[in-house]
Amino acid sequence: MFKVKAVLLKILVITFLVSIATTNQSQAAATAPKRIISLSPSATETLFAIGAGSQVIAVDDLSNYPSKAPISKLSAFSPNVEALLNYKPDLIILNADATKATEVKTALEKLNIKVFLERAPLDLSQAYLEITALGRATGKISGAQTVVSEMKSKISAAIKKGKVSKKVTFFHELDNTLYSATSDSFIGKVYRDFNLTNIADPAATADSAGYPQLQSEYIIKANPKIIFLSDAQYGESIATLSKRAGWNGIAAIKSKNVVALPEDIPSRWGPRLVDFYEFISTALSNVK
Amino acid sequence: MLKSKGHESVLAPIWNWRITAFAAALLFFVGILAISFGPVSLGFDQIIKTLFGLPGGLVGQDRTLLIDLRLPRALLAALVGAALATSGAVYQTVFRNPLADPYLLGAAAGAGLGATVALTSAGADLYSLLPIFSFVGAILAVLVSFFISGKFFAEPNSLLLSGIAVGSFATAVQTYLQQRNSSSLRPVYSWILGELTVANWQIVTWSTIYILIALTILITVSKQLDGLMLTDEEAYSLGINPNKLRVIAVVAATLATATAVSASGLIGFVGIVVPHLVRGITHRVTNRGLLTIALVGASFLVLADLGARTLLSPAELPIGVITAFVGAPFFLVVLRKKRLVNQ
Repeated sequence: MFKVKAVLLKILVITFLVSIATTNQSQAAATAPKRIISLSPSATETLFAIGAGSQVIAVDDLSNYPSKAPISKLSAFSPNVEALLNYKPDLIILNADATKATEVKTALEKLNIKVFLERAPLDLSQAYLEITALGRATGKISGAQTVVSEMKSKISAAIKKGKVSKKVTFFHELDNTLYSATSDSFIGKVYRDFNLTNIADPAATADSAGYPQLQSEYIIKANPKIIFLSDAQYGESIATLSKRAGWNGIAAIKSKNVVALPEDIPSRWGPRLVDFYEFISTALSNVK
Repeated sequence: MLKSKGHESVLAPIWNWRITAFAAALLFFVGILAISFGPVSLGFDQIIKTLFGLPGGLVGQDRTLLIDLRLPRALLAALVGAALATSGAVYQTVFRNPLADPYLLGAAAGAGLGATVALTSAGADLYSLLPIFSFVGAILAVLVSFFISGKFFAEPNSLLLSGIAVGSFATAVQTYLQQRNSSSLRPVYSWILGELTVANWQIVTWSTIYILIALTILITVSKQLDGLMLTDEEAYSLGINPNKLRVIAVVAATLATATAVSASGLIGFVGIVVPHLVRGITHRVTNRGLLTIALVGASFLVLADLGARTLLSPAELPIGVITAFVGAPFFLVVLRKKRLVNQ
C-alpha cells in the first residue's frame, strides 16, 4: 500500500517535471521559429545568409536565390492565407507592398502565426536595420550582426575603389519608355555613394517615390557619360540605344559606356547588395 | 440628326466648309506651337526655316531634336487624336449611343492583352514587338465580338454586349498574366496610361498609312452614315444598306483605333469628348463634320501632348491624365450648354 503511494507520487513528480520541461521547450520554440515562410526574395537571401536557412520551410515563387531555398508556388505579390496555412508555419515574412498586406497580417495573427512585415528600405542603413530585425525575429542575432558588419566593410571597400573624383553624369534606364530613378530612390542612393551625378535629379519633384519618366530630348541634352540599363534583360543594349533618334550623339554611346545591369541583384535589398556595389565599382573602373 | 434638333439646323446648311477650314488652321497653329517647346530651347525663326527647308535653319544636334524627336511626336499625336476622335464619332452613330467610344468592342482590352503577352513572354525579342502584339490583340478582340454576335450584328445592342463580354474576358486573361508575372505590372501600367514618348518616324510612317486609309473610308461614307441614325427601314428607303454600312464603318474605325492604340497605348476620353465638342459647338449632329472632328481631335491631342511634355519638364506626365483632366470639365460645359439649347 505504502509502496503504491510512493510510486504514484513518483509518477506525479515526473509528470510535473516533464510538463515544465515541455513548457520551457515551447517557450524556446516561440522565440526561435522553426517553420518560416519567406514571401520576399530579399528576405529569403538574408535568412540564408544569417544562418536561419534551416528554419525556412518555403519561399515564394520569385525567391530564386540561394538555389537551396525551398522555392514554392506561393505568391509574394498576392499572398493567400489558406495556402500559407497548409505549411503549418510559425513565422511568415510578408512584404508590406503585397496585396492587402495588413489584412493578411491580421488574419494570420488571429491564427497565432507571427508575421514579420518587411518594408522596402529607403537607403542602405534601413537595409541593415532590416537584416538585424530579421536576425532578432529568427533567433540569429549574432549571425545577422556578422552579415551586416561584413557587408559594411565590403561595401565601403567597393565605394573606395570605384568612387569618382570629378563630375561624371549617368542615366539609369528602367525601360525603353525612359523611366528612370532619382537620388531619392534606393538605387539612386547607391549611385550617389559613388559620387556620380544623376541626370534624373532635376525631375525629382515629378515622382515622390523617385521614379520619373524622362524625355528623350532632355536625355540627349543632358548628355550622360554613362548609361546603366536595367532593361538589358528585356533586350535593350547599346545597339538598340544607338538606333533611337538623336541618341548616337550621347557621350555614353559614343564612348561605349553602356552598362547592362544584372537581373535581380539591383532590386534585392539583402546581403547581395555587396555584389551590386562591387558590380558598379568594377563598371566605373572600366569607364573610358 | 436629319430631323430638326434645335432650331438652328433647320435653317443652317447641314455642313459649312468654313468650320472645317477653321479646324485645319487650328491644327496648323497648334502643331507649330507644339514643336516650338521642349526641354531644349530652339529659336522660333530657325524652327520655321528648318521646316520649310530655307537656309539658316537648325544644324547638328538641334536639327535632330526637331526633325527626329519633336516632329514625329507631334505628328503621331495628331494622327492618334484624329483616329480616336473619328472612330468615336462613327461608333456613336453606329450604336446610336452617345456614350460609345472607340474602345467599346474590346479593342482596348484586346490591345492591353496583346501588350501584356508581349511583356510577360519569356523571350526578350517580343518586347520590341509590343506594338504589333497590341495591334493584333485589338483587331482580334473586335473580330471575336463580331463573330460571337453572328448575324445579330444587325442589332447594334447585341454587338455592343458581345464586345463588352469579349473585353471582360480579355481583361481577365490580362490580369491573370499580370498576377503571374508581377514584374510586368509597371510597364503594362505605363503603357495603359498612354505614351507618345517613343514616337519615331517608323511608327509615324505606318500609323499614317493605316489611319489615313481608315479615315478616308469613313469620310467617304460619312454622308450615308447619317442614315444609320434613322431606323433601318428608313435607311433602306434612302437607298442605304444599313448592315453593310455598319460593317464597313466598324472595320474602318477598328483599323484606326487599333493603329492608334498600338502606337500610343490607351489614351482615354478623346473619342467621346471631341465628337461631342464639335457637335455641341456647331449645333450639328451630322457625320459630314467627320473631317472637322478628325482635325479637332488631332489638335486636342497635340495640345495635350505639349502639356504632357512641359508641365513636369524634364519629366513626363502621362498624356491620358491630361486628356481626361482637361477633357472632362470641358465636356461637361458643352453638355450643359447643349441641354440649355434643347430646353
